[in-house]
Amino acid sequence: MSITTGIATGGTPDRAEAMGAVTPARAAGGAAAVGFSGVTRSYGAVRVVHGLDLEIAAGETVALLGRNGAGKSTTINMLLGLLPPSSGTVRLFGGEPEAAVRAGKVGAMLQDGQPIPRVTVRELITFVAATYPRPMDADEALELAGLGEFAGRRVDRLSGGQAQRVRFAVALAGNPELLVLDEPTAALDVEARRAFWRSMRAYARRGNTILFSTHYLEEADDHADRIVVIDGGRVVADGSGEAIKRRAGGSLVSFDLAGAPTEPLPGLPGVSSVEIRGDRALLRTADSDATVLALAGLGLVRRLEVAPAGLEDAFLALTASSTKEIA
Amino acid sequence: MLDYIRLEVRRTLRDKGFVIFGIGMPVLMYVLMTNIGTGAGGAGMEWKIASMVGMAAYGALGAAIGTGTGVAEDKQLGWLRQLRITPLSPIRVVVARGLTGTVTVLPAIASVLLVGALVNGVRMPGWQWAALAVLLWVGTAPFTLLGLGNGYRLSSQSTGVVNTGCMLLISIIGGLWFPAELFPGWLRSLSAWTPGNRFAELGQSVTQGGAPGLGAVAVLAAWLALFGGYAVYAYRRAARTV
Repeated sequence: MSITTGIATGGTPDRAEAMGAVTPARAAGGAAAVGFSGVTRSYGAVRVVHGLDLEIAAGETVALLGRNGAGKSTTINMLLGLLPPSSGTVRLFGGEPEAAVRAGKVGAMLQDGQPIPRVTVRELITFVAATYPRPMDADEALELAGLGEFAGRRVDRLSGGQAQRVRFAVALAGNPELLVLDEPTAALDVEARRAFWRSMRAYARRGNTILFSTHYLEEADDHADRIVVIDGGRVVADGSGEAIKRRAGGSLVSFDLAGAPTEPLPGLPGVSSVEIRGDRALLRTADSDATVLALAGLGLVRRLEVAPAGLEDAFLALTASSTKEIA
Repeated sequence: MLDYIRLEVRRTLRDKGFVIFGIGMPVLMYVLMTNIGTGAGGAGMEWKIASMVGMAAYGALGAAIGTGTGVAEDKQLGWLRQLRITPLSPIRVVVARGLTGTVTVLPAIASVLLVGALVNGVRMPGWQWAALAVLLWVGTAPFTLLGLGNGYRLSSQSTGVVNTGCMLLISIIGGLWFPAELFPGWLRSLSAWTPGNRFAELGQSVTQGGAPGLGAVAVLAAWLALFGGYAVYAYRRAARTV
């Protein structure tokens, strides 16, 4: 078992910064939970993953964020040993993915996995748990997944959202050190989604490593210590939600032009783009303080507003120009 | 692995289709074929015994092949993939499915034999009943492998159809429904080479007080090897994509 310290043992400044908010427990020393190095994957002539490098330390909660077709599921399938990489290596806890899976260190919720019919929820979870060396108590897994009251119900008689929780319970049942969730909230309503994230965080606090994929930007920002944005099979950004927003042009500054000339605006400090909507100017800036001071110098402060760029904007900015390496 | 077999047996027995068609059908057909259109005195005891063996064999091979239909369903649901990320090794999953087949064939065999004894008044010494049940049980192995091969190889929909087709073809040509003696000469010679025919012969020889002939054992062993090879091939192919 890994020793959890709650102290950052490494990583980039961005990652260390992200640590404060979510208090992940991190393993002291030892191999990384997940390591991709130079991984590519092609289907025939189509290359889906291009030279992916990614390391996840034990205890981290990482979101794999990308659009549909960005290579998220292919990445996850390679991570789980379900799909061999065309080149490069994938390591889990320092060894082959298959070895980590056989040792019961991995639990996963696959995107296209449906629970099997004609068994009750409890029978299914008890069975899965028994295949692992150090499983969770079945009742605990059911409770954590919010299935307590459905334990005796047949899996094929559950609603879509309930079935999704069964898949979560299947992933949890073995008490795995690494939990992999491929688009875990796709079929859940708002209430169930909230409950799901609560459970996931509780599981992360026990010192486990979690990797989840999503195309919900807010989910990645709210629930992960670190966001890895992939697009076109490459990592295009890697860091905390804050850092990613900043990289994509942190804030939006807007004000009324009131007839002032727009020519000097693109040259102001920090400004990366300028948009004019009627009489209003919208500046995207990496350094809103410097931009606002410069605007004040020009007297352009009528109805001035500074707003953080949404993660949505950041995401679009990052993935629109995926050829440009930002990470 | 025992847990997995237990889970799968439970799932099979909860399948209404399996209970109705896998157990009910052979029993019903046995009762009908030995009690309808047979004149005032009813069918002769010889036919009652032969048909009992034929229908028990038919039910057993249906259940055996049906194992593969379940595999195809699980494959389509993504459950086989999910199992691959549990510590259960893929080879144990396949073996457990095969062993599940050896359990789910039992209800059909037991039901038909029971109806033979209780309804049709078939009387045999105890060792014959026991040997008959055991031989019918062991003899299902090739069919389980055929079903598994189809299950791994084909999609869920086609597996259902192909497995049912295989079952009917093997049963009818094998003479499980109507005795092969009634077939035209060419079909009778063909029938002797089919696994269904030799499977039933295992049972028929016991009811006649003898041991199964070497020919029956050899032909069945050849089919066992063939279907076994097919199942391994299908599994290997599927393992890349499952």
